[in-house]
Amino acid sequence: MPVPAPPSPHRIAKPRQRASAVPLIVLVVTAAAGAAACVAAPDNARAWVTGSVAAGWLCLAVSLVTGSLLVKRVRAAAAADHAEAAALKAQLARHGAESAHLVNVTLPTVVKRLRDGASAHETLAQTAPPSDPQLRRVVQEFASVVEETLRHAASIESRRDQAQGQLAQAAEELDQLTAVTLPTAIERLREGASADTVLAGLDWPHNPLLRVPAESFVRELAYSERRAAAAQAASAKALSRVQAKSVGMLADLRDMQERHGVEVFGDLLRLDHSTSQLGLMTDRLALLMGGRSSRAWNKPIVMESILRGAVGRISAYQRVRLHCSTTVAIAGFAAEGVMHVLAELMDNAANFSPPIDEVHVYVEERSAGIVVTIEDSGLKMADAAMRRAEESVSGHVTDLASLQGTRLGLAVVGRLAAKYGMSVNFRPSSRGGTGVVVLLPPQLLAQQRDPAPQHLAPRSAEPAPVPVPQAPAPQAPAQQAPAPQAPETAAAPDTVAAQAPAAPVLPAPAPAAEPTPPPAQPRPAAATANGLPVRAPGRTMAEAERERQQRRAASDAAAGAGTLSGDAGLPPRDAGSRFGAFHRGRQAAGEVPGSPAAPDFPADSGPPPAE
Amino acid sequence: MTPRRPVDVGDPDRLYTVTGGRSRADDDSFDLVTLVVSECEPTAGMQSEHVRILETCKHPTAVVEVAAEMKLPITVVRILLGDLLAMGRITARHPRAAGSAAAIPDSALLKEVLHGLRNI
Repeated sequence: MPVPAPPSPHRIAKPRQRASAVPLIVLVVTAAAGAAACVAAPDNARAWVTGSVAAGWLCLAVSLVTGSLLVKRVRAAAAADHAEAAALKAQLARHGAESAHLVNVTLPTVVKRLRDGASAHETLAQTAPPSDPQLRRVVQEFASVVEETLRHAASIESRRDQAQGQLAQAAEELDQLTAVTLPTAIERLREGASADTVLAGLDWPHNPLLRVPAESFVRELAYSERRAAAAQAASAKALSRVQAKSVGMLADLRDMQERHGVEVFGDLLRLDHSTSQLGLMTDRLALLMGGRSSRAWNKPIVMESILRGAVGRISAYQRVRLHCSTTVAIAGFAAEGVMHVLAELMDNAANFSPPIDEVHVYVEERSAGIVVTIEDSGLKMADAAMRRAEESVSGHVTDLASLQGTRLGLAVVGRLAAKYGMSVNFRPSSRGGTGVVVLLPPQLLAQQRDPAPQHLAPRSAEPAPVPVPQAPAPQAPAQQAPAPQAPETAAAPDTVAAQAPAAPVLPAPAPAAEPTPPPAQPRPAAATANGLPVRAPGRTMAEAERERQQRRAASDAAAGAGTLSGDAGLPPRDAGSRFGAFHRGRQAAGEVPGSPAAPDFPADSGPPPAE
Repeated sequence: MTPRRPVDVGDPDRLYTVTGGRSRADDDSFDLVTLVVSECEPTAGMQSEHVRILETCKHPTAVVEVAAEMKLPITVVRILLGDLLAMGRITARHPRAAGSAAAIPDSALLKEVLHGLRNI
């Protein structure tokens, strides 16, 4: 380190020598001048002059000596001061250098070492300490403060990292919870799983801040799902009892209508109507609650009966005009659903049209199925209302939450339409109101068209008898032939359908008396030795009923032929038909002789008197 | 679900839909034994009960028999017959007017017949 050189003492020495030489010269000069004055002075004055000169010179000499001594002393003091100042300067410079070293080298080194993880003691030991104790203390203080600060910073940083990690994890778990876990849990809960099952079966977040609310959410949702399901099940159960009751009431009422006379008939019909409306309301609720309709049919129902069954369930049934000329029948499984749909739509149409206007229902047979159009002449539905109605009858939304107030009918229509594949469309009616078009697809219709080709097949297979129009009698048995064979060959539903058209065919050739043997063929096989009828396995009640009708037609025909005694084997079922058979027999017998019918009675009642 | 009772075997149409809400006949021209004869063939679009009545009554048929044939209460049948009569599709007459009372066998004979029948 460059230290400024102390000022040289030689520069002061020369003036000092010169300063000490000046008094000597002055003394010498004044001594010479005094001596000269003494010499030159008169004699009488010489002693005084000499004395005063000598005294003056002495004074001068003394003052000069004193002065030079003083100067010398001052000079010495000045030199001492100077040296001291130089020493101080040097010291200052050293301090400055040390400070600079401290600032530029030592402190950065200390900071670096401390940052590298060394402790304050090690760092101070490895670092050259400054000579100055103050500075040393400063360094020590600095090192300890920096160490402290660094430790603090490190701990804060680690805590921050930890918090950041936790935050990231929580965000990830939250993502997982929202995107996967909760939807799955909701889905499983909707399917009926319990809260514990769902909680155990899924991966829930570890963060309690997320897990606790998620768990309580799942439990609450499970609770409300369970409550909804329980309410629904209880309603369906209770409604099924009401349904059974109302069906029983309807049967009772029908029975009473048969038994009682005209005086209570009107009241019974009113009760019947109220009960039927009650049945519609109950069915509506039951279907919404996941229950079933109150009735189920095991036989095809013709369209006219479907329409009447539907119209009988609404309050304003007298304002509904049915235009139905088709004889097509709806299959039993779908009949109740179709009836309910039509009843709801007719009710809707009747409720939203003026109470004096009629609602018209048309039935058309198309290749796509049966088209039922229900037209009212009420207000046109607004576009929004029609859209809402279309949406609710589409059957896409089957959640109970989508129900609007008390307007449940269309929601039921939607469900039934979706179930049976019917399509329900609203459109403005040509009568000014709204028209509803219901398309019943062919799979809902009873298999009635199939027998027609089947019916024709034997006729075309036997071309020989066909061109002979004068012999209709052999042709009739040929047509009838497939019907008795069908029970063995075809499936049960087909036989029901196959015989359905056969029944109307039968009465036409009945007077010819030849077709009676074919229905007689299955009869012996289907009876016990005691004559009790036996239902063949797989044969439906409807078929048995139809056969009984055939048998009765045959017996009627036999009675028409004049053999009244033929009825003895087949007792008519009630007084009315007995009366009719009696009357026909009497009439047929009396027709030929003309008005004198009286002789017939003695003729018929001949045996009793003989007995 | 609860076990269901057997399916319905009846007809879905209630009687008030058959009669259009009427509960008694407009006229009293039909009693139980009034004979009914159809005057025309059934036409398309007719109510099915009308069709069946017209088919049943091709020969003169008593009201009570029509009712039994159709399995409907007498009151309903009378309303339906009243409709058909108003449309002129049937004619009705009573079986024997009072004038032919002499043609009916005397009560002694009938009693004897009844007695004989009971003995069978």
